[in-house]
Amino acid sequence: MKRRYDGLVKHSRDKRVNRWQDRYTMLFGLLMLVAIGGQPVASAIGLLAEHAGHADPARIGPGLALAAVAYAGYLALVRAVGPVVLSAADASWRLLSPLPRRSVLGRTTTLMAAVAVLCGLALGVVLVAALGAPDHTLVRLAAALFLGLCATLGGMALGVMGQSSPAWDGWLQALTTATVAAAVLLAVLGSGPGRSFLASVANAPSWPAAALATAVTAFLVRRAWRELPRVPARAILAASVRTGRVTQAAVALDPSALTWAAEDAHWRSRTPGSKAWPVRGAWVLGWQELRRLGRHPVRLAVLALSPVLPALAVTAGGPRLAAVLAFAGGLAAAASATSGVRRDGDNPALLRLLAVGRRRALAVRAVPSTLVSAAWLAAALGAMTVTGEMTDPSGMTDPSGITDAAWWLFGPACAPALAAAASRMALRRPVDHSMPVIDTPGGAIPTGPLLWAATGLDLALLGVAPTLVAFVVQPADLLPWLATQALTGLAVLGGYLRLRG
Amino acid sequence: MRAEIITVRHVRVDLAGHRVLDDVALSARPGQIIAITGENGAGKSTLLRCLAGLQTPTGGEIDVLHGPPADAAAFWRDVAFVADEPAWYPGLGVREHLDMVLSVHQGGRMSAEAALSAVDLAGRDERHPLTLSTGQRQRLSLAMALIRPSRVLLLDEPERGLDAAFRPRLAALLRDYAGEGGAVVMATHSLDLAEACGAVHLALEPAS
Repeated sequence: MKRRYDGLVKHSRDKRVNRWQDRYTMLFGLLMLVAIGGQPVASAIGLLAEHAGHADPARIGPGLALAAVAYAGYLALVRAVGPVVLSAADASWRLLSPLPRRSVLGRTTTLMAAVAVLCGLALGVVLVAALGAPDHTLVRLAAALFLGLCATLGGMALGVMGQSSPAWDGWLQALTTATVAAAVLLAVLGSGPGRSFLASVANAPSWPAAALATAVTAFLVRRAWRELPRVPARAILAASVRTGRVTQAAVALDPSALTWAAEDAHWRSRTPGSKAWPVRGAWVLGWQELRRLGRHPVRLAVLALSPVLPALAVTAGGPRLAAVLAFAGGLAAAASATSGVRRDGDNPALLRLLAVGRRRALAVRAVPSTLVSAAWLAAALGAMTVTGEMTDPSGMTDPSGITDAAWWLFGPACAPALAAAASRMALRRPVDHSMPVIDTPGGAIPTGPLLWAATGLDLALLGVAPTLVAFVVQPADLLPWLATQALTGLAVLGGYLRLRG
Repeated sequence: MRAEIITVRHVRVDLAGHRVLDDVALSARPGQIIAITGENGAGKSTLLRCLAGLQTPTGGEIDVLHGPPADAAAFWRDVAFVADEPAWYPGLGVREHLDMVLSVHQGGRMSAEAALSAVDLAGRDERHPLTLSTGQRQRLSLAMALIRPSRVLLLDEPERGLDAAFRPRLAALLRDYAGEGGAVVMATHSLDLAEACGAVHLALEPAS
């Protein structure tokens, strides 16, 4: 019976792959990929080879820390996705049939391997950019790419095993935590005390690390391959439903659906408890936001640790990236405290039951959003200032461009505008796909997604414009810029509440 | 001073070219319970939305608490509306929702404990509404509306999801509310609930 089912799957698959049109399409697609991506990749590798030998010891630690953060993000994503998932049709039909599990999961396995390989190559490039290649550039590059591949393939294998066994899931979580801890340690070592050690690591021969990585990855991948048919159907179904929602939200560009799916999944397995409200009147709405945030320990930990990322980008030699990270992080921090705004936007029934006016509700809800954003941005700018001074105490060639200790004050000054922008983002409707598509020489631009993406970001850019200009012009006296930013921030928030409330 | 706190005269509503309500009249005094009944599509929810100021009638007059209804905070301070879908804030437990209503309104008709006991959620006060059943979530919505001070209570199919054993208790809660001088207007398919409340019937027929 099993052989008959095997034959059924094999037959349908053979028929699909053996068609000459499929082969032609695959070959044409690969050629197009090489034609489009070959030139940028070749020039990037050439540039890398040219500069790799000159890795600055001061930038090895932050560069490796950023690579570690990226790897921790990859592991978290693998765990969040599944990683063993199926399309809705396969999950509801083929998964629950007596077909051999490995055949049903064949396409998923290929996809997981492809994702791991691509992410591994990217991680390898980051590694070689951070460590440099003092000798044998091509060997070092190959070793870094190989290490990246081993790391991502091993992480994916651990994710597969974690889906079938809580013990392996514990190992995956432990590895993610250890990677974050390693990122912190590398950032600390790179800031001074361990620079010589990191430089010696960069100069060490790469074969022992490669040999160890090969052994560990081979063990994990072999074990995951054996575990694959034993992953429980309920785990695959749950992950498939989750991923299906994500895909649906991405296709329809409706992240609010995604946000609610994540929020509901979080609370469905938790008991919030019961605490008295320490405030009265409409202020309860603001307090509710802080209480909810306080009950998200992981989100709080990410908020508390992430302000170091712009500082790491500064020391890794990317001041523009650092500025972008700082303001994106400030906006994300403000957006982390807007669940109530989003709920009332989707369904105002509770707000009517509470008899709080729309403007008043938006105003009190802007308070926690402003506080979180102010704290995050002040910490990020403070860390950037400290890093800038530590990188170059003279301030002559400071890579961040900010050495004045007063820069952290721009955090609280920008926060009201970022809170208004986050509120506007929380209230935006799903993308209007009926809006026109504008044909330009550079290609067609769909205005619906464009307007959707710009909603909120427009207010953020307008509101923090004085700080962005100050970043560029580097004024000697920060006080007038600070005052301008504070007034702009308050004006943007006030105007938003007046127009939107 | 007029005794009626809700008056509806010759109300007509057209939606997408179709007449949903035609020449509807209704009045309610403090202490009265009105049950709007009728088959699906008869316009029960539309009439409730008109009373809540969420739907502008095409014609006719509506007065709620001696003025036209409006979707504004001042109106909602006197009017509580339980719509078709229960709603809750993420991250808050059952009791915290009730305490929130009491804190925002700075007082209420009953304590959170009494409300939890009245809707049989006393043992579930720390749970998130998501972990409750559909009927329990409906009870929470009703408790949030009943705990707050109000003069008019608008309910859209309050019996939805409730087990048969709880309906007489809901009827008792609504009678208590009316006994304190509030007016209740509910759209319902449950004639038993309407009977148990001692409600005045308003049967709607599909307009077209």
